[in-house]
Amino acid sequence: MPPRRVVITGLGGICALGNDVPHIWDSLRAGRPAIGPIENVDTSELRFRNAAEVRCYDPSAHFTPSAVDHLDRFAQFALVAAREAVRDSGIAWTPELRERSAVVTGSGVGGQSTEDAGFEDVYKRGRGRVHPLTIPRTMANAGASHITMEFRLTGPAFTISTACSSSNHALALAMQLIRGGGADLALAGGSEAPLSFGLLKAWEAMRVVAPDTCRPFCSDRKGMILGEGAGMLVLEPLDAAVARGAHIYAELAGAGLSSDAHHITQPTLEGPVRAMRAALEDAAIRPEQIGYINAHGTGTPGNDPVETRAIRQVFGAAADKLAVSSTKSMHGHALGAAGAIEALAVLLAMHEGILPPTANFTQADPECDLDYIPNLARSRPIEAALSNSFAFGGLNAVLAFRKLAK
Amino acid sequence: MSDPLAEKVIATLAAVKHIPPEKITLDSSLAELGFDSLDTISMLFELENAFQISIPDESARSIRHVREIVEGIRALQAAPPPPPPAPASAN
Repeated sequence: MPPRRVVITGLGGICALGNDVPHIWDSLRAGRPAIGPIENVDTSELRFRNAAEVRCYDPSAHFTPSAVDHLDRFAQFALVAAREAVRDSGIAWTPELRERSAVVTGSGVGGQSTEDAGFEDVYKRGRGRVHPLTIPRTMANAGASHITMEFRLTGPAFTISTACSSSNHALALAMQLIRGGGADLALAGGSEAPLSFGLLKAWEAMRVVAPDTCRPFCSDRKGMILGEGAGMLVLEPLDAAVARGAHIYAELAGAGLSSDAHHITQPTLEGPVRAMRAALEDAAIRPEQIGYINAHGTGTPGNDPVETRAIRQVFGAAADKLAVSSTKSMHGHALGAAGAIEALAVLLAMHEGILPPTANFTQADPECDLDYIPNLARSRPIEAALSNSFAFGGLNAVLAFRKLAK
Repeated sequence: MSDPLAEKVIATLAAVKHIPPEKITLDSSLAELGFDSLDTISMLFELENAFQISIPDESARSIRHVREIVEGIRALQAAPPPPPPAPASAN
């Protein structure tokens, strides 16, 4: 039996660009960045002040007070996005389907604000104890576990933590589970809420965060901007989606995974090249079929020229025909949620025929010489797209999406 | 060498890179001493601690040679005191 084809039938999201998918898409299409002063953490002792924070978010609008007691911000985001994705998919749960449904989430740092508050109690306030729910709120799989409980999904469920590639690894593994018959549906994506004082201090010490904003591929780029949020996707076998008359956004046609085996933070050319090639091969897509790449595009000095060279190496002459953008210029770098939020951008771009831009674009770095869709979204129907994630630690995960013929 | 500031800089670099201080001169480049990006941010962190200064990201990015570090720190010390760096621990 040939492997089953996997399609996306539901989208859910929350990030600085909006607290649901329609608002996120409005901002992406308008090329409107959501980067500004951090409100939830005191930044007076930080070298940077800006991030892409989720705004106007009231937990009590989504959860009962006792549910909130059990949910760190990152797990709340996971649930909010999962609920929207399930609603959007129109899936009708049966006992059999619940038992055959997987939950695969990505998270780089888990319940950061809970952990930070607990450590502050112990180290700073001199209290001899921390809140008893610190562990269940902090664990990186909390988001996945709460999703299983909310929808009573009893199939395989797990969380992948590969820093900035977590979500793409999660989506790739979910795709493979469905392809191979290990599940008949998956809720997959990632969530992150990394804006705690302790973790911001750690990012400050890495000296990779921009003091102002994120300008991927520009000569005056000064680094990344941290973000937060979640993206969740409903994945199903193509035949099941067609049989129930589901709305299909696109096919998750392939994934390419590779490791640099080189340096804990500096990227190589070869690792990303091998991941993109593997994704194309897995999806049986030719380079010239790809119309859009959602770049990893962090806006750091290290990433952008290497990613540009890697795309040129994989695509050859076709590199000058495709469009590339980094939506991190708008929603920031949401670390373990990045790939899932970017998957939303890719799927909506394919669906609507509008490519989101690289915002805050000034002047291209001479070493970055592709078409980055500067500042303004572009109407362009595309047949297939890639979404790149290249993590600290040299762990690369590239997803390939294909539009299905109507 | 009779420059205590330079000696302290070299001692700090030697400790970060786990190499003998004799291997480091004012003309050494960080690249030839084998400093990668992570060694460099660790060095900046230790220099900030050792000299009680705050080295801005912008000036940190342009450092290539030991001499630039020494002169940079001398300039920082001569300048009016910047806002104090955040305490290493909250206590």
